[in-house]
Amino acid sequence: MNDPYKVLGVSRSASDAEVKKAYRELAKKYHPDKYSDSPLADLASEKMKEVNEAYDQIINERKNGAGSYSSPGASYSSGYSSGQSGYSDPYSGASVYQQIRRMINEGNFGQAEQALSEIPSDGRNAEWYYLMGVVYYRKGFLEDAYNYFQTACRMDSSNVEYQTMFSRIQQQRSGVQNGYNSSSSNQCNACDVCDICACMLCTDCFCNSCR
Amino acid sequence: MFGYLRPESSELKVREYELYKSVYCGLCKSMGRDYGIITRFTLSYDCTLLAMFAIGLKGECSHVRDGRCVFNPVKKCRFCSSEGEGFRFAGAISVIMTYYKLHDTISDSGFFKRTLARSLMGIMKHCYKKAEKAYPEIAKAVGEAMAYQQQAESSDSGIDAASDPTAKLLSWLCESLSEDERQKKILQRLGYFLGRWIYIMDAADDLEKDVKHNSFNPFRKELKDDISETMRYCNEVLNMTAAQLMLAYDLLDLNSYKEILDNVVYYGLSFQQKHCLFDKKTSKKSRKKDKDHYAYLANGEKRS
Repeated sequence: MNDPYKVLGVSRSASDAEVKKAYRELAKKYHPDKYSDSPLADLASEKMKEVNEAYDQIINERKNGAGSYSSPGASYSSGYSSGQSGYSDPYSGASVYQQIRRMINEGNFGQAEQALSEIPSDGRNAEWYYLMGVVYYRKGFLEDAYNYFQTACRMDSSNVEYQTMFSRIQQQRSGVQNGYNSSSSNQCNACDVCDICACMLCTDCFCNSCR
Repeated sequence: MFGYLRPESSELKVREYELYKSVYCGLCKSMGRDYGIITRFTLSYDCTLLAMFAIGLKGECSHVRDGRCVFNPVKKCRFCSSEGEGFRFAGAISVIMTYYKLHDTISDSGFFKRTLARSLMGIMKHCYKKAEKAYPEIAKAVGEAMAYQQQAESSDSGIDAASDPTAKLLSWLCESLSEDERQKKILQRLGYFLGRWIYIMDAADDLEKDVKHNSFNPFRKELKDDISETMRYCNEVLNMTAAQLMLAYDLLDLNSYKEILDNVVYYGLSFQQKHCLFDKKTSKKSRKKDKDHYAYLANGEKRS
């Protein structure tokens, strides 16, 4: 196995807090939620496992080496290690869609797209649009995927699966994860720390004059 | 290639900036040696980035030495030299891409530009033949991508289909940088979104010009009365692509140049989006504002 310190990107002399911070950052980076529906999901979960193991190893080593030295951080690892969500079908009776979900799970996107396009247009429900969105999302056709997810959400606004996916995409589009967030540049009018300080100073002047 | 993929230098350490420059100059030198001095003009930031990915993945230790710039002999430069494939690979891509771009210009430009391209073509043809001989697969892939591009543009499809040829080409080029199966899978995805991002960025940047000349642009359908509204839409599309690009990039195992490549992915992309979509429109005004701002700062310091 690799050197656990190298995996976390910290030096051997790093404090427990530093190790924990590095671990948290990496856990955020490889979080399975970010990679759901991406073809790289399995690689991301491998990385996540590696990071978890490295963290546990360091914590255990330190606990055994220096008695009460370590912090109770090991319990952390269990929360993040959930694997791929997979497509368990929550509906009963929708056998065609079940088959298509299986195809997507196995990575046969061409086949899944074919099967979806064979469904006549009057039989297309919210799930059809959602699955079509997943196929396009994996293919890298992000705009088409966005439109399909949007339609799916409009047709069935109570479905958690569709809503989660759509809100994740909207977050990506806003530029929070990467890219340029055009709305954040207009914040010069907002109240910032300097304003607060200035206010405090002014109020402080009055306090002195009262004495 | 278009030159949108570059680091944001204000976020780089001086040592990293110098390393980046030495790779740029090293690639330029390598191209001059392999394909003749004229091809040095075809060098772009995008190809430099590809070379950095190629070298960074292999992790070969390339040494830096001092020299002088050919075009400006007074200027002293540091050159990164490497025996590996990286530079030769990126150089060949640059030459081949330029050749096909000239082809494109000859077929769909006005008289003046066409004549200029024809005369350049005469010189470039020889260089292209050399590159084609060294890397026949790349020449074939680029040629196919260009044909696919024309087909995609003539069918007047959406932004996804229009960007697919460039994205697929970059995907293939990046994939060929590694032998490892896992890395290949990541690079394939990374390359796809790099290509997609470059294409969309270029389309958004050229939108006004294309509307004026009535040429193809995938964003024409999205055109609204207010140009900044359209740009905001383009920015959304780019943001989503950049987010996907980052997901793939985060999984990549790099042996060297990690800081610089991190900078390109985390800061460079967003800076280019800001610069090309929002700042350029008011570039003269904002440049003046910047100038005033700096003058004010400088004076303020002197006084105190």
